[in-house]
Amino acid sequence: MDETRDGEGSSQPVEAKTKAQGMSHQSDVLPCDQLRDQVIGNQSSHTQLMETLLHLRQTVDDCITQLTTRPPQLDLPLEEQRHNQATGEQEAFLRRVVNLLQSGAMWGLGLQAPRPTLGPRDDAGGGQQAQLSRQLDQLVHQLSHLEVAFVSHDLSNRGIDISAFERSKFQDFKTYQGDKYHEDKNTMGFINLGVSENKLCTDLMTERLSRSDMNHLEDALLQYSDQRGQPFLREEVARFLTYYCKSPARLDPENVVVLSGCCSVFSALATVLCDPGEALLTPTPFFGGLVMGSYLYSKVELMPVHLDSEITDGSARPFQLTVDKLEQALLEATLKGKKVRGLLLINPQNPLGDVYSRDSLEEYLEFAKRYNLHVIIDELYMLSVFDDSVTFHSVLSMESLPDPNRTHMIWGTSKDFGISGFRFGALYTHNKEVASAVSSFGFLNGISGITQYKLCRLLQDREWIDKVYLPTNHSRLKAAHRYITNKLKALKIPFLNRGSGLYVWMNLKEYLQPCTFEEELLLHHRFLGNKLILSPGKTYMCKEPGWFRLIFSDKPLPLKLAMHRFYEVLAEQKRDLRVKQLEDPQKE
Amino acid sequence: MFALPEKESRAPSTCPGPASTQDLDSNCGDGLERECSRKPDQKLPELYGVGDPTAGFSSNSSHLSSRGGIIKWFWDSAEAGYRTYHMDEYDEDKNPSGIINLGTSENKLCFDLLSKRLSQSDMLRVEPALLQYPDWRGHLFLREEVARFLSFYCKSPVPLQAENVVVLNGCASVFSALATVLCEVGEAFLIPAPYYGAITQHVCLYGNVRLVSVYLDSEVTGPDTRPFQLTVEKLEMALQGANSQGIKVKGLILINPQNPLGDIYSPAELQNFLEFAKRHELHVMVDEVYMLSVFEESVGYRSVLSLERLPDPQRTHVMWATSKDFGMSGLRFGTLYTENRDVATAVASLCRYHGLSGLVQHQMAQLLRDRDWINQVYLPENHARLKAAHTYVAGELRALGIPFLSRGAGFFIWADLRKYLPEGSFEEERRLWRRFLDHKVLVSFGKAFECKEPGWFRLVFSDKAHRLCLAISADWP
Repeated sequence: MDETRDGEGSSQPVEAKTKAQGMSHQSDVLPCDQLRDQVIGNQSSHTQLMETLLHLRQTVDDCITQLTTRPPQLDLPLEEQRHNQATGEQEAFLRRVVNLLQSGAMWGLGLQAPRPTLGPRDDAGGGQQAQLSRQLDQLVHQLSHLEVAFVSHDLSNRGIDISAFERSKFQDFKTYQGDKYHEDKNTMGFINLGVSENKLCTDLMTERLSRSDMNHLEDALLQYSDQRGQPFLREEVARFLTYYCKSPARLDPENVVVLSGCCSVFSALATVLCDPGEALLTPTPFFGGLVMGSYLYSKVELMPVHLDSEITDGSARPFQLTVDKLEQALLEATLKGKKVRGLLLINPQNPLGDVYSRDSLEEYLEFAKRYNLHVIIDELYMLSVFDDSVTFHSVLSMESLPDPNRTHMIWGTSKDFGISGFRFGALYTHNKEVASAVSSFGFLNGISGITQYKLCRLLQDREWIDKVYLPTNHSRLKAAHRYITNKLKALKIPFLNRGSGLYVWMNLKEYLQPCTFEEELLLHHRFLGNKLILSPGKTYMCKEPGWFRLIFSDKPLPLKLAMHRFYEVLAEQKRDLRVKQLEDPQKE
Repeated sequence: MFALPEKESRAPSTCPGPASTQDLDSNCGDGLERECSRKPDQKLPELYGVGDPTAGFSSNSSHLSSRGGIIKWFWDSAEAGYRTYHMDEYDEDKNPSGIINLGTSENKLCFDLLSKRLSQSDMLRVEPALLQYPDWRGHLFLREEVARFLSFYCKSPVPLQAENVVVLNGCASVFSALATVLCEVGEAFLIPAPYYGAITQHVCLYGNVRLVSVYLDSEVTGPDTRPFQLTVEKLEMALQGANSQGIKVKGLILINPQNPLGDIYSPAELQNFLEFAKRHELHVMVDEVYMLSVFEESVGYRSVLSLERLPDPQRTHVMWATSKDFGMSGLRFGTLYTENRDVATAVASLCRYHGLSGLVQHQMAQLLRDRDWINQVYLPENHARLKAAHTYVAGELRALGIPFLSRGAGFFIWADLRKYLPEGSFEEERRLWRRFLDHKVLVSFGKAFECKEPGWFRLVFSDKAHRLCLAISADWP
């Protein structure tokens, strides 16, 4: 799945426990100057402003949810329709205001905010000042951007949502793109351990993709193809999955649809399985990119099944998914009036790295069957299980699926082959209706014929995959994982040790005081300030503050430097906490 | 998504009746230009029509959502004819009696040139950055190349900016993304009809946006100087009509060179249409996907980007792709050019669904950069071949006494087969289309282009001579 670029938490539905003050709903006019004063002049109001905004956003969201969940307007008398339209317009305006404030201002503020609390830094000096002024420029730039966007009436409300969502990350990503770490050219640049990419085997992959068999060209590759994907590729995907998923029976190419990336597959699936406003259950923490993915185009919601880090009755490990929790979440959703159409599972799980046992998988599928729920199962990391003692069970390996017509599996090459830039995702489903409906998107989410050919060659080369690529990839993943986990152990940082995926899910609660999501975000920005990108748990809808995901599938050199920066930030954080602790009793 | 207020969309005098169930197995005649068809309603003169691809449809699937059912229906209704074609595709060696496809608008004349160019060593670079997540708008090197390319070939008075370029996997995606970020659910775009029918589906699948057809007439009346002429007056009428039905129109789609008419708008006409849009605060999406396929030198094509001054630059969005002009519909490369940063950003946000491989992005940049090859090898040869193929098919049609429109642009001839339909109904049109298919020729019928007069067919001529000969020599009605 495509990653959120930076792990910024702003995309998350916010549980607003805030007291709104200062801004009433009627305050249509928010003078920009006033805002600018507030932003630049008064750092301490940062949190308050943010809370107010979040609250406002929540209120508007609620209103809009109410609006959209109302029955179609055609039954309403005309006057009421007009009224609704007027309310809608007002709300749209409000929403526009809030979105823009949140997206633009929060990012700038977020970077700014931790600075005043910093103690004297070892490496402080001219550099820091330059950085500060750069950030100030950035902030001013964003504000001017804000004003421009403010008067823009060109986008639809959903266009504004889409844009606002991306804008924060976009800016972040732009900063990162402009100042990327490079071994020789920019050793001071950002190191990105936030985006889940496997950079360990680019040498192997580059070599393989450069071989002459990849460069075949025929007219069919340049022409429109079957919308489900070129037959040769679908056949190869079926063979590939039959083998690597250990399917008891040969998989059928007719059940395969290929699209431009797993995000596209998921988006298309969500669209054809759910109507707008309907929901999918998903255990959290979970990879957050899909939240927006499902909402942007298809307006499908995700209902979290919150998992607990503490081991309680009925669970044997932290964040364990149980049928009880699924039942409970389904019940809660139903009570809230949400129509739940399916269950979304990621296996191996992202960010936990959990691999479901055959029995657990069976239980989840049985649960879904009981309630006529579809199961979308994302097995994007299935070949990235690098610990030999862990056995992965693909849903396609099961002797008999409880509800084959409602079980849909997604896989792609982005993670397992480290080629996210290829934009390839595949759906496997026994349900012909679903396959046909998803195929309609072949036009909008199609893959280049040339790319399809290369992918086919790649998947075909079992010899290379089994003897060269997978063993090397696994041993490199293992080494990188060992390196990172040893560092974490030395720092006494708790983490989940799972042997799959490209990431470590770790607990930095120790470094938050108080242990809140605000503090989590501040710590995140502190990492950013030290040119290190990690993903905070809020991005994954984790209900406990303090968790972070760290991507370890990077080259040794940047990894080493990243851990050095990581250590610096934590040491600094620790010092600040101690100072705070000493000051607090004095206040009392 | 499909909860359209049905009352509005079925206004009696203007809207075609709902699709009947027997249409389910129908086909538009162009496997790739998929469009559901409806029963005609020809009693009153129609000036415009509000498209509602979902009218009368009810889903009975236990597995799909209601919109999923409709989306599947799109697939099924288009599949039938296309499947027939695919099961019996012509091949000169393996299946010489198979179906010849004159329905899909593809240029199959220059594969030899393309294949040679795409196989040169500069195309084959593989580097790690191309294998990783790109900037969603497209790699910068490609956006810069697109900006340079469009500046040159669109004859832009000022250099175009890479910042205004967004790269997606084809123009279908550009339509989909634009519809979503410019319109709310159920809102509409104006589009002169007949038009490339697949756009209906592009704007509907994700965006649930509708098209309001501005019906054009084959008869030359009033101030018109040519058949199917678009005028501001017709645009005004259609807009008013849609408004009076409570349909919010957000934009205007122009295809230039037009598909299926092959029409080219003069700079003055373009300017007028853009002024009309500005007056009504409408976005204009100009699809210029055939801009380099103007093979008749006497035709002075002008891109919208060549205008000295755009009436409303913030609401003017241009799309282009390599699908037609470089005969690579399977490559899935399309691009949006817009000065509106909000629109560009919003569309870019949707690019995670519409991305294309970094390796292909590299190839496209190399291709667009190679001005020598394009100007001295590809374009002259392509135009000469298009001209020859066109001359051949046009000549055959003349010999058969079939009237047709063709203006020296695009890959198709818009043929008037009305004399073969005694009653002049869309049923007959479909039967005739079926008859062609039975005689192993796949063409596209006018209904698929929302043409309001039954009896028009689009024939694609950009195919190899032997296939054209076979297709044309197939029994005519």
